[in-house]
Amino acid sequence: MSGFGSANPTYLATDFTFQRDSIMALKIIESCVNCFACEPLCPSKAIYEAKPHFLIDPKKCTECEGDYSVPQCASICPIEGAILDAFGVALNPPGSLTGIPPEKMAEAMAELQAH
Amino acid sequence: MELPVLNETPASKGGCSAGSCGSTDDQLGHLSDEIRAKVQNHPCYSEDAHHYFARMHVAVAPACNIQCHYCNRKYDCANESRPGVVSELLTPDQAVKKTMAVAANIPQMTVLGIAGPGDPLANPERTFETFRRLSQHAPDIKLCVSTNGLALPDSVEELSKHNIDHVTITINCVDPEIGAKIYPWIFWENRRIKGKKAAKILIEQQQKGLEMLVAKGILVKVNSVMIPGVNDKHLAEVSKIVKAKGAFLHNVMPLIAEAEHGTFYGVMGQREPNAGELQDLQDECSGDMNMMRHCRQCRADAVGLLGEDRGDEFTLDKIETMEIDYQAAMEKRKVIHQAIEAEMNSKREVKAKKAEQFVQEEKMTTRPVLMAVATSGQGVINVHFGHAKEFLIYEASPEGVRFISHRKADQYCGGDTTCGDGETVLQRTIRSLEGCEAVLCSKVGFEPWEILEQAGIMPNGEHAMEPIKDAVLAVYKEMAQGGKLDEVDQAERAVA
Repeated sequence: MSGFGSANPTYLATDFTFQRDSIMALKIIESCVNCFACEPLCPSKAIYEAKPHFLIDPKKCTECEGDYSVPQCASICPIEGAILDAFGVALNPPGSLTGIPPEKMAEAMAELQAH
Repeated sequence: MELPVLNETPASKGGCSAGSCGSTDDQLGHLSDEIRAKVQNHPCYSEDAHHYFARMHVAVAPACNIQCHYCNRKYDCANESRPGVVSELLTPDQAVKKTMAVAANIPQMTVLGIAGPGDPLANPERTFETFRRLSQHAPDIKLCVSTNGLALPDSVEELSKHNIDHVTITINCVDPEIGAKIYPWIFWENRRIKGKKAAKILIEQQQKGLEMLVAKGILVKVNSVMIPGVNDKHLAEVSKIVKAKGAFLHNVMPLIAEAEHGTFYGVMGQREPNAGELQDLQDECSGDMNMMRHCRQCRADAVGLLGEDRGDEFTLDKIETMEIDYQAAMEKRKVIHQAIEAEMNSKREVKAKKAEQFVQEEKMTTRPVLMAVATSGQGVINVHFGHAKEFLIYEASPEGVRFISHRKADQYCGGDTTCGDGETVLQRTIRSLEGCEAVLCSKVGFEPWEILEQAGIMPNGEHAMEPIKDAVLAVYKEMAQGGKLDEVDQAERAVA
């Protein structure tokens, strides 16, 4: 993503609009805990409160291109896996925020279920 | 305004340097009159006041700007009691309504805090809107806020505009090496920052915020979470630094880490400190200043006296139907607060007299003893053993009686009667009394009586409705007369 925007801004501005609808949008999924942290940070006002969880308006989301070097929502979100990129890939994969190795988490949860 | 440096030796009272021994019973003895006036009816800051006055938290601040390894933002269980957990998130409007409803119905409520479930200062609009409207509509309520400190320097100006007497900063370390083991990331200048670099920024912001608040004359309390093997050896230094900078209280709390909470520490098997380790560290950090040993690590939506939670009586649908005449409530509150203060003052005088007497008595040479007490407030023993949700732990020694800590009777999860290994609630309760040699309640049933005796804990129901410290001292003297406490005596003689 980064570096992409600096070469030819005029050309890319058009390209952007085209891509925004189809590809360049992040998505909040059901693991969102509604903590409000992302909403005020969004430079495009694409994030809105909804039930059962916050959502991103794909028409407005720019993945923060042009405003910040990293997407703001994904940089403050405390929940691993709650925000996906345009390809459905978690921007904060399991273990990346808590530091808990996924296998360790699975082990602990399995043990709790057994009780 | 300049706040006094707390390391200066306070006037010694009742012949006990620890300040909260049986003689003085005055946690705030080392504070200036001005600070005392601000905190004497604050249940969180005064061990004395917490038997009478209540507090509440409103959960208006869900967002957080850092991650701590003892916190998990996913969990929200009604049976859990720990900071960062709430059942119902409120808008500032709902929070104001709820606060006024509680103040009218629980006139002992003197303090409203915003403590999360995220970081209040990472939600400045929601937090300050709530404070602004409360200072306007309910001027008789003290406002408090607690923060991790990251956004504090930017908020000091705004904080000083409201009716906010106290700010709590959670400071777990002053060393980035240690900080990196506690905080996996912070959100800073539009980026997520990890590791030592993140910890360094957080620590700098906390210290800067502390200094700025003190310079403004706002009281600062520092909370620290004791994490064995991570910062336990470091907290004495933290204590020294924050006190030198003007914090008026340091509150060392034990880590809560259970796998079922899904926190890093819980899942990774980081152990919690035991009661003895916590007490040793609190003693080490206290110096001339008192520790908040009665802290209950409340939920971010707790309501009522410390140790109780009446949040269920004030859910959104319930407060919706309540008609509140706040003017009338305020009059009533004033009368009740004055009556409570008069009662506290007269009790203080009685205690001071007893303390003088105690000092004049021939000093005992017996060893110290821990005792558990069941109370629901007012400073007296007034709860049946089986009804106690928590016990207050007191230490009786030749120096007098001092409050040590509280222990939960049913550990964090209150649901079923047995946990995984078939341990009953009674067994669990008895285990939580480990180290205690007596338990003082208004009544003890036959079955627990026998089991307590077998566990070496003497049940005692003879001091119902008596002041706690008098009763503890009386039992201690009985034990001494019964020759149960002679070890020290003999040991000393052997040395001599």
